[in-house]
Parts: sequence; structure tokens; C-alpha cells
Amino acid sequence: MAAAVTRLHRERVLSAEQAALFSRVARRELLSVGAELRALLYGGVLVAMAGVGLLAEQNFERIGPLAIAGALAAAAAGCLIWTARHASPFSWREAPSTHFAFEYLLLLGVLLVGADLAYVEATFTPLGDAWPWHLFLVSVLAAALAVRYDSAIVFSLALSTFAAWRGVSVALLERSVWSGIDTASSLRVNAIGCGSVFLLLAAALVRLDRKAHFEPVATHAGWILVLGALASGLGRAPVLFGLLLLLAGGGVAALAYRGARFSLFALGVVGAYAASSALFLQARPPFEIASLWFAATSLAVLGALLVAHRRLRLE
Amino acid sequence: MRPDAARADRRREVREAARGWRRASAIDDATQAAIVEAYPDDRVRLGPAFRGLAFVFTGLALNAVFFFAMAVFRPNDAAVVGSLAIVFGVLLCGLTEVQVGAWRRADGGTEAATALVGLGYVLIGAACLTLDARLSQRAVQSWLFGLATVVFAAAAWRWGMRACAALAGVSFFLLLAQGPRPRLLWIAAALPAIPALLRLSEHPGWPPAHRRSGEAVLGLALVALYTAFHLGSWDAGLVESFTQGGHRLRQSPLRPAAILGTALIPPVAAAFGAITRRRLFLDLGLAFGIASLITLRFYVHLAPLWVVLTLGGGAAIAAALALRRFLASGAGGERRGLTADPLFEDPARHRALEMAAAMAAGPAARAPAATDRSLAPGGGRFGGGGASGEY
Repeated sequence: MAAAVTRLHRERVLSAEQAALFSRVARRELLSVGAELRALLYGGVLVAMAGVGLLAEQNFERIGPLAIAGALAAAAAGCLIWTARHASPFSWREAPSTHFAFEYLLLLGVLLVGADLAYVEATFTPLGDAWPWHLFLVSVLAAALAVRYDSAIVFSLALSTFAAWRGVSVALLERSVWSGIDTASSLRVNAIGCGSVFLLLAAALVRLDRKAHFEPVATHAGWILVLGALASGLGRAPVLFGLLLLLAGGGVAALAYRGARFSLFALGVVGAYAASSALFLQARPPFEIASLWFAATSLAVLGALLVAHRRLRLE
Repeated sequence: MRPDAARADRRREVREAARGWRRASAIDDATQAAIVEAYPDDRVRLGPAFRGLAFVFTGLALNAVFFFAMAVFRPNDAAVVGSLAIVFGVLLCGLTEVQVGAWRRADGGTEAATALVGLGYVLIGAACLTLDARLSQRAVQSWLFGLATVVFAAAAWRWGMRACAALAGVSFFLLLAQGPRPRLLWIAAALPAIPALLRLSEHPGWPPAHRRSGEAVLGLALVALYTAFHLGSWDAGLVESFTQGGHRLRQSPLRPAAILGTALIPPVAAAFGAITRRRLFLDLGLAFGIASLITLRFYVHLAPLWVVLTLGGGAAIAAALALRRFLASGAGGERRGLTADPLFEDPARHRALEMAAAMAAGPAARAPAATDRSLAPGGGRFGGGGASGEY
């Protein structure tokens, strides 16, 4: 690598300054430990939250609920005040980060708020039977803070908290709506609904040009939920869910291919292939035929992938 | 490696570096184009998503073909099945050679799949052939791990595949674990291997693929050395359990050496990494350090777990901030060649991991049964990093 830098400088492709910097990195005279420091910071946030969870659980009697709730609130407020002070002005577009630790302390603050709300709800039960709504509150708060402070990490936390709220509320608040349907199925429907909401949100972000750079987070989470929910139904109603998964997976793959979004394309291809194989295996073919199916279809998919890739290169 | 493949690999390294320079806006589009022109690509490559899919579907197809042949011909002799598996595996290795050679494929997924599946069938075939030999289980395992070491090392050398090098390293240490004093063998093998592999993994005469393979085995040797010294592994007889069924060493007079090793290897590795600016040593030193701290908490009750976790998390945050400030306050934002500023790495990789971790740190959804007491108000759960946050 160092030889290549020297050659590129000699051929005047690189300037002296560029060559000097690249050469230092190539010769291992300069190393960035930014990724390690970020990992340390992020790991610290998660480990501290694990400790906070245990604190609330194990010291309920000794310290007292008010003291615990107050301490959590104070810690959360400390983090959020710090982030508010260090935040850049609001923008609907991507905003540059003002501090190395900004997003991680914001995440810590949001997690502490969530822990505090959960603790208050668990101890004082202000919401009664509607206790899962505290998750909805946390997800809305996290989404608002993510938008204000331009944090994709906190936005992904908001989405997962929203999904958790839907998962919990199925069993409690909407039992009457879903009566007659087993819990797994109702959870599946909720997951599909949740995924659809995320996909609509993603489309809205792009259409309105408001935090459009959050769109990939919502789109990926949405399709993972929808395809995962459909796949989870293959064991219960293979034909129905197989056909739905085939349609959805094929649709995702086609759209993603056109938009050159290859991680989504891979998700769609795998989903569609799993669906078609599940449908085929419904016929309970003998082992030879099943093996032949997997050999032939895998090779067909492989061939299609190579052709598709070649077309992309030509375009 | 074939000379043309090695040459293509060197060029690829330059193009990848140029992509990082462009990402960091250290060069412009025209400069990047000039670099790509100076170091052209003559290989057929696929991007990460296509490569992953190609790998999965090739592997699936190859296995299905073999199962189809077995279902049709129904051989009922293990020796015949073993021989067929070896023939199939060798054919796949030949197909890999054709792909890497005449078809000029690299980073395509299919050649990695044919190589790994092919070598897997060679090993499975060899295992089937030993069934009739009436050897002891230990002898069979030793023979198979020895064979795996050789074939994976040969594949790593020929095709420059890091996964093969890593598998060769794992097989080698598992082979040593079959010996009479496995822990001693691990230490005796790892200690001289580390400096040798360090030299080889930075040898300018080697193509980048070989250097990466050497680095993978170097990492494994470091892990093996730390595992051999680790106090928990020592007391549980982890290395010995591969053959002797958990022979514990808690009463061994050499136990203080394990305590010293658990305490000293992490800071030594991290310090060596920081001083010589070698990321592998730095990262493994940090990982070993975390493992040693967890081990310390396991043996010595310093404080309640919540205190340890909260203070430990806080200390990690404070350490990251202090280190960042210390490095940034140096001349040019660096100290002794270390900088906290991002250079040319791809930030998208870290972001995806961070977002996945944030989702994992979020609250867990539950759909309790009707009789579940947690249906009562207050059954919420919140906590990050695996916190048991049920109140």
C-alpha cells in the first residue's frame, strides 16, 4: 500500500500532502482509535443501563421507590440537559454532530427516561390496566428527541419501543378485538400492522423531505417485521402465508432491485425463496424430489442473481 | 495464490483505500477515477448483498445435489458414502480452482461456497472412512482435526480465503487439545506462533489476502493463549474438557500463573497494540480486559452487581471521554500516532451495528398468558444491555 501511495504521488495523482497522510496510515504511523472509543462509550451506556435495571429491581425495599424514581429522573435529566446544551440548531435535514459523545448521552438519557417511567408505572401503577401505554409514551418521546437532535440510533430505539408497545397491548388492551384468534396470530397481525406503519412513515419522511435520512431505518425495520410475521405463519397456514410471503418477498426484491437497495433485495429474495419452498414442501414430496427441488431452484436463483448483477453493471 | 489473483488482490487493496479516502473527502472524484484507472480490476466481483446470496444459494444447491445423488443411488456402506463424499469434495475444490483461475472470480460468494462445501465433504468423507477402522474416538478426532488443519491451510494458501485460514487455526488448536497436556500445548504453540504470525501478516511480499489470513490466525493464537491462562478456563478445565471431560485444575500448584496471566495478558496486549499501533492487539486487549474484569467480579465480591455494572458503565463512558480529550489535545489531534478522529474507515458499518444494539437495548414486548400474574399493572420491563429490568 505504501508503495502504491509513493507511485501515485510520483505520477502526480496524489499531492504531497495527500501522499504524506496516506503514507503515514499505510506505514502504520497513524491509527484512528475512534471506533474503539465509540464502542467503549456505547458499551458503557448499555452496561450502566443494565446496572440501573438491577438497582431498581434489587433495592426496592432498601432505598425506597421515591428515591429510586427520583435518582433515575435526575440522571435522565442530567443527560438530556447536557444534550440540549450541546445540540446544534434544529434542522429537518441531517445535522452535523457537535460532540463525540452527543448521541450516546442522548441515548442514555432516553433509556433512563424509559426505565424511570417503567419503574414508576410498576410501583405506583398510575395507568392501571393500561400500563403498556407507558411504552407508547416512551416511543413518542424517543421519536421526538431523535428528530430534534437528529439521532438515527434513538430513532431506531423509538421504533423498537413502538413495536414493543404493540406486542404488549395485544394481550391486554385489545383482547376483545382479537377474541377467537390465538395470541400468536394476533401478534402476527400486529407485527404486520406495525411494519406497515413503519413503511408508511418511511415513505412520508421521503415525500415530505423531513429527516429523509431516517428512512432506511424505518424501511428495514418495517420489512423485517412484515416478512418475519408472514414467515412465522408458515407453520400454521402454509398455503395462505406462503402465498402472501411469496408476493411480499418478491415485491420487496423487485422494488429494491430497481432502487439499487441490495440489503432489502437480499431480504426479499430469501423471503420469496422460503415461501416457494414451503409451498412446494406442502405437497410432501419424496426425499429425492425435495433434494432435486432445492438443487434446481437454488441454481436457478443463483443464475438469476448473476444475470441481474451483470445487468446492473451494464446499466 | 496464483500470481494473477495475487496481483488483482493488491490492486483491489489500493482501490479500496481510495474509496475510503474519497469517503473522507481527502481526494476528489477525479483523483479516485485516476487511481481506479491506475489499478484496474480484472476480476468478476459481487457486492456484499449479492455475494451473501450467491454464497447461500450455492451452498444450498451443492448440498442438495449430493443428497439427491445419495437418495437415488442409496449406498448402504459407510466406505462408499465416504468415498463419494471425498470425490464430490475434490470436484468442488477443482471447481473453485476454475472459478478463481480461468473465470477470474473474486469476492463472488460462489467460489467461497464451493471451497468450503468441498472441503467439508472431504472431511466428512474422511470421517466416514474411519468408521470401519475401529479407532478410538480420540484417534479419529485427532486424525480429522489434523486433516482439517492441512486442507484448510492449503486452501487458505491457494485461494487466499481468510475463512479457510481461521478454520485451519481452529482445527490446529483443537488438534492440540487432543494431546496429553493440552493447555501446555496451546501455550507452547501460541507463544512462538504469535511473533512469527505477526511478522508474516505484515510481510510486504505477501499479497493482502495472505496477510489477512495470517492476521486471522494470529488473532486465534492470541485467543488461545489467553484462554489457556484464563483463571475461569483453568478452574473449569475448559481446554482439557475437549478430551478428558472437564478435568478441573483448581488444586494445581500452577494456578497462580493463571491468575497472573488473566491479570497481565489484557493490559500487555492493549499496551503493545497502542504503542505499535496494531489494531488487532488493541481490540483483543480491550476484549480480554473486559473478560478479566468479569472474571474478577466472579471470584471477588467487590460490591453488589448493580453497583459494579453502574460504576463500570460510568467508568467506561468517562474513560472514553477522557481518552478522546487526551488524544484530541495533542499536536495535530494525535498522540504517539494515535488519533480519535475518524480516518478512512466506513462509518456506515458502525452505524448499522449501533442501531441494531439500540433496538436490542429497548424494552422487550411480552404477550403473557391469561393466568400470568404479570398481566397485572406494573408488569413493564425496561433496561439496556441485557438488564433484567422487571419490576
